[in-house]
Amino acid sequence: MALSKTSTKAEAGRYGVLIVLSIYCLMPFVWLLVAAFDTNAGLFLETPDSVSLNNFYRVFAEEDGLRWLINSLIVCGGATLIVMLLSGFGGYALSRTNAWWKRPFLYSIILIRVIPPPALIVPLYQVMLALNNGMRWLVLQVVPREHMRDVMQIVGFIDGYLGLILLLATMHLPLALWIMKTYFDSVSPEYEEAAVMDGATFGQRLRRVLLPLAMPGLAASGLFAFIACWDDFLVPLTFVSSPELRMLPIGIFSAFLRANEIDYGLLAAIAIVYTAPAIIAFVLARRFLVQTFGGGLKG
Amino acid sequence: MGTIVLNQVRKSFGGHEVIKGADIRIEDGQFAVFVGPSGCGKSTLLRMIAGLEDISGGEFLLDGKVMNDVSPEQRNIAMVFQSYALYPHMTVAENIGFSLDLKKTPKAEIKRRVGEIAERLQLTPYLNRKPSALSGGQRQRVAIGRAIIKEPSVILFDEPLSNLDAALRVQMRAELQELHRSTGATIIYVTHDQVEAMTLADQIVVLKDGQVMQTNDPIGLYKEPENTFVAQFIGSPKMNLFPAKVESVAGDVVRIRTDAGWPIDLPAIEGLRAGPVQLGIRPESLTLAAPHEPAEIETRTVLSERLGMETYISFETGGEPGIARVPGDHSLPSGTPIRLAVDPSACHIFDNDGRAIRSQSA
Ligand SMILES: Nc1ncnc2c1ncn2[C@@H]1O[C@H](COP(=O)(O)OP(=O)(O)O)[C@@H](O)[C@H]1O
Ligand SMILES: [Mg+2]
Repeated sequence: MALSKTSTKAEAGRYGVLIVLSIYCLMPFVWLLVAAFDTNAGLFLETPDSVSLNNFYRVFAEEDGLRWLINSLIVCGGATLIVMLLSGFGGYALSRTNAWWKRPFLYSIILIRVIPPPALIVPLYQVMLALNNGMRWLVLQVVPREHMRDVMQIVGFIDGYLGLILLLATMHLPLALWIMKTYFDSVSPEYEEAAVMDGATFGQRLRRVLLPLAMPGLAASGLFAFIACWDDFLVPLTFVSSPELRMLPIGIFSAFLRANEIDYGLLAAIAIVYTAPAIIAFVLARRFLVQTFGGGLKG
Repeated sequence: MGTIVLNQVRKSFGGHEVIKGADIRIEDGQFAVFVGPSGCGKSTLLRMIAGLEDISGGEFLLDGKVMNDVSPEQRNIAMVFQSYALYPHMTVAENIGFSLDLKKTPKAEIKRRVGEIAERLQLTPYLNRKPSALSGGQRQRVAIGRAIIKEPSVILFDEPLSNLDAALRVQMRAELQELHRSTGATIIYVTHDQVEAMTLADQIVVLKDGQVMQTNDPIGLYKEPENTFVAQFIGSPKMNLFPAKVESVAGDVVRIRTDAGWPIDLPAIEGLRAGPVQLGIRPESLTLAAPHEPAEIETRTVLSERLGMETYISFETGGEPGIARVPGDHSLPSGTPIRLAVDPSACHIFDNDGRAIRSQSA
C-alpha cells in the first residue's frame, strides 16, 4: 500500500511532462492539417483566416495530383499483391520444408535487405535497362510503332508500370517471406491434416482452412510491403521519367522545388493526400492483425 | 465394417526405420489400444492407417481390401488428433459439419445432422461458439463430433486425453466407452499411459521401438506377459525383476535362488533347465509376513510411500531396489528389517533375453 501511494503532485508533474512531449511530437501533424485547409498558409502555425478546400482543389485541378495518386496506387497496390501472393505460398513452403538449403536461403534473402538500396541502384538500372530493351523488341513485334510509347509505359521495365511493380515487389519480398515463414511455423500442420481427413481437396484446403488461418500473417506482410512501397522515393525517382507516370512522393518534391516562393498550403494538401492511403491501409489491415486464433489446439 | 489387418508394415523416414514390420489384426467393432513409450512409433502407425503417411513396406488391409494407395478420404476412417486441431476460425457447428459441407450436402441436412451429433455430445448450447470459447472437455467433444458425423467404420484417436486434468480424464474415458458402444465403430486408440490402455481396451498392442512386443486383452497382458518389456510396462508400480538361478528341478517343484540369496519354490515349468534366469514378481504379489509366518525374502526397507489405504515399500536387493505394494498403512522407517512372502503362483520366469518361460498348459 505504502509503496504504490504517490502524491497527486508527482502524478500531475509526470502527466505534465508527458503532455508537453506529446504536444511537441504532434505539432508537425497539427501544422499539416491546419495549413492544408488554409489558403494563406505560412511556415508557422497560425489560425487560418478562413477554412477552405482551396488547396486540395489546386492539388487536383492545377497540379496533376489525381494522376500521381492513381500511379502510386497502381504501382504500390500491384507490388503489394505480388508480395502477398509470393510470400504466402513461399512462406508456407519455407515453413514446411526440411530441405538442406532452407537456412542458407532464408539468410541470403534477408541479406538483400541489408544492402542499402542506393548502393544497388546503378547495377539495378543496368539490369532493368537490358530487360527494357528486350521488352521493347518484343513489343515491336506485335504493336504498331505509333502505339509503342503507350504500351511501353505499361509493360516497360524503365519508365513503365510493370518494371516499377516488379522492382518494388522484389525489394520488399524478403521481409514478407520471413514474416510468412515465421507465421506458418505457428500454424500446426494438423489443421491441414484434419481437413484431409474431412475430405477436403487441395483447393478446398487452401481456401477454407489455410487462407483464413494465414490472414493475420498476410495482413502484416501486406501492410509492411504496402507502406514500404508507398514510402519509397528512390525507385520512382530513378525509374520514372515521363510526367504521366509520376508518383506522389516525386509530385510533392517537384512542387516543393518548382516555385520561387514555397506554397505551404499546397504542399500540406499534397502531404495529406499522400498520408491518407497509408492510414487507410493500416485500418484495413488492423482488423486482421488483431485476430487471434486461440482454442483450436489443446494445451 | 472395419476389420483391420497390418501385414509386416514398415515405415522409414529417410533411411531411418521407425516401424519395423508390424503384424496387427483388429476385428470389426473392437476397441484396440496401441500403447508404448513416447517415440516408439504409435502416431506413425496410426497416421499410416489414416493415410496421412505412406506405407514404406508391407500391407494394410481394411475389410480384406489392400488400402496402401487409397487416399485418406476414401478409406472411411476418421481421426481425432493429438492437438484436436479444431478449425479456430469456424464455429462448433461449422467444425462438426465441415466434412458434409465439403461434400456439398444440402444445408438443411447438415444442420439436422450437426444438431443430432451436438445433442449426443451435449454440445447444443455451444454450437455458435468458436473453439477458443470452449473448455478442454468441450473441445475434445467437438473433435469427436467432427469424426463421427462422417459415420466412419474406423475412428482413430491419438493420445486424446493427454494434457487433460485427472478428473476430466476419468470422465472422458467413460464417454469414449459409451461412444464406442453407440457407434459400433472399430476404434484404434493411441496412448503412452498403460492405465488408459487397461481400462479402455478390448485388445492392447504393446509397441517398443517400432516393433509389436505383444498383443492381447488387458488381463491376458497382465497375467501372461511374453517378455520383460511388457511385464514391466503393464502394471503399476512396475514388476520386480530379480536376477536368479534355477537351483534344482525336483518333481513338480522348481527351486529358484535369486542373486540376493532368497530361495523361492515354484510349481514345475516345462522346459525350465538349471541355469540363470530372471524372476519377475509383481509388487502386489508380495505380502508382509508376520514374525511366525514363513517368508522367502528377508531384507531391509529403503523407503516407504504411504498412500493411506496401501503402502509401497522399496527394499534392498543388492541391485536396483525392489518394491512391494501391501494393503494397509505401515510406518517403516528406512532400514527397518522386513520379511516378505511371495505368492508362488504369481511368479514369472524369463530367460536371459527377456522371453517368458511358461508351461504350455498355463
Ligand atoms: N516426419 C518425420 N520425419 C522424421 N522422423 C519422424 C517423423 N515423424 C516421426 N518421426 C520419428 O519416428 C519415431 C516415432 O515417432 P512417433 O510415431 O511420433 O512416436 P510416438 O507417437 O509413439 O511418440 C520418432 O523417433 C520420431 O522422431
Ligand atoms: Mg505420438
